[in-house]
Amino acid sequence: MILAATMNPEAFSGAQEAIARMRRGDPDALTAVISRYQHRLYRYLLRLVREPAAADDLFQQTWLRVMEKIGRYDASRNFESWLFSVAHNLAIDSWRGKRGESLNDAGDSAEPPSERLPSGDPDALEQLLDFERGAALAVCMLELPAIHREVLTLRFEEDMKLEQIAEVAGIPLSTVKSRLRRALDGLRAAMDARFPGRRA
Amino acid sequence: MTDHESNTTACRSIVAWLPLAAAGALEIEEQRRLEEHARACPACRRELEIWSGYSQALGRLPQPPLPAQLMERTRALLIKEYAAAADRRWDALMLGALALFAWTVGLTFWFVARIITGGELVVMGANLVRFGTWTAGSTVLVWLTAAVAALALGRRRNELRRAL
Repeated sequence: MILAATMNPEAFSGAQEAIARMRRGDPDALTAVISRYQHRLYRYLLRLVREPAAADDLFQQTWLRVMEKIGRYDASRNFESWLFSVAHNLAIDSWRGKRGESLNDAGDSAEPPSERLPSGDPDALEQLLDFERGAALAVCMLELPAIHREVLTLRFEEDMKLEQIAEVAGIPLSTVKSRLRRALDGLRAAMDARFPGRRA
Repeated sequence: MTDHESNTTACRSIVAWLPLAAAGALEIEEQRRLEEHARACPACRRELEIWSGYSQALGRLPQPPLPAQLMERTRALLIKEYAAAADRRWDALMLGALALFAWTVGLTFWFVARIITGGELVVMGANLVRFGTWTAGSTVLVWLTAAVAALALGRRRNELRRAL
């Protein structure tokens, strides 16, 4: 539904108009833009930081930062990528402040995923098709490092292109791919560990 | 020997691409090679289907509800920040205008004072209508004016905050 709204030319031009008005300092336009992105931005932040209170705080900080920096926003850039990169940077700052480490520290240097050869055994995910598959996946996703949760949510929930993900996370395209691969492999391993041999 | 065992070497090179294929992250040539292999290898085809299942399920994860009144709280915060930013712009404008006004008045009075006094007004050994002396005096006046204006603006802002 969100994607449909994004692809709708009228909705798109409406969003562009709201962004243009926001750049001229119109607070009503900012409200319109927040309304448009609130669910996606909050979901992204929650997947990233996991704690609702932290996501709530980062959500507000993100819009404050957007308001401060909108004058410097290059209109030729994709607004969505810019908005999420603002949120990403704030999350990193918050992470550093709280734990003295970077969001990027955890997970990227992990062992490469096992080169799982196809086996004849039934897959845990397949067995859960009719049993809260989404809920189970969401739980397993929480076990992944933040940078892996981030690429998964940006790719599959936000439906971003790899280039957009690279822009949001401030990483090369090759790193986006390796993170996606590790994230998916980790997710599958977590599903297999949590629901071994379960049949639908 | 099963189909898969006979294809193990080929599978090993393909299997690393399967998660990326599910993520739509393969190059065109890689995707072509993978599809070609999957057509001939039931085990890899099956594995690809499993990864596709992950891809689809990830796009349909349960959506977290937005916290109560987050939108309203954010809007209130931004309106407050807009007001503060507008105040700061207004303060800067006012201070600039007052400084300019003070300099203009100072310069005008300098001309008038020079005409009236014939270019000489000595007080305690200093010629007050000399440009340097007059400029120094004007500068002191400008800064005093700015300080008074800043105090007045700060008072006005405090009153507004109390009213809100």
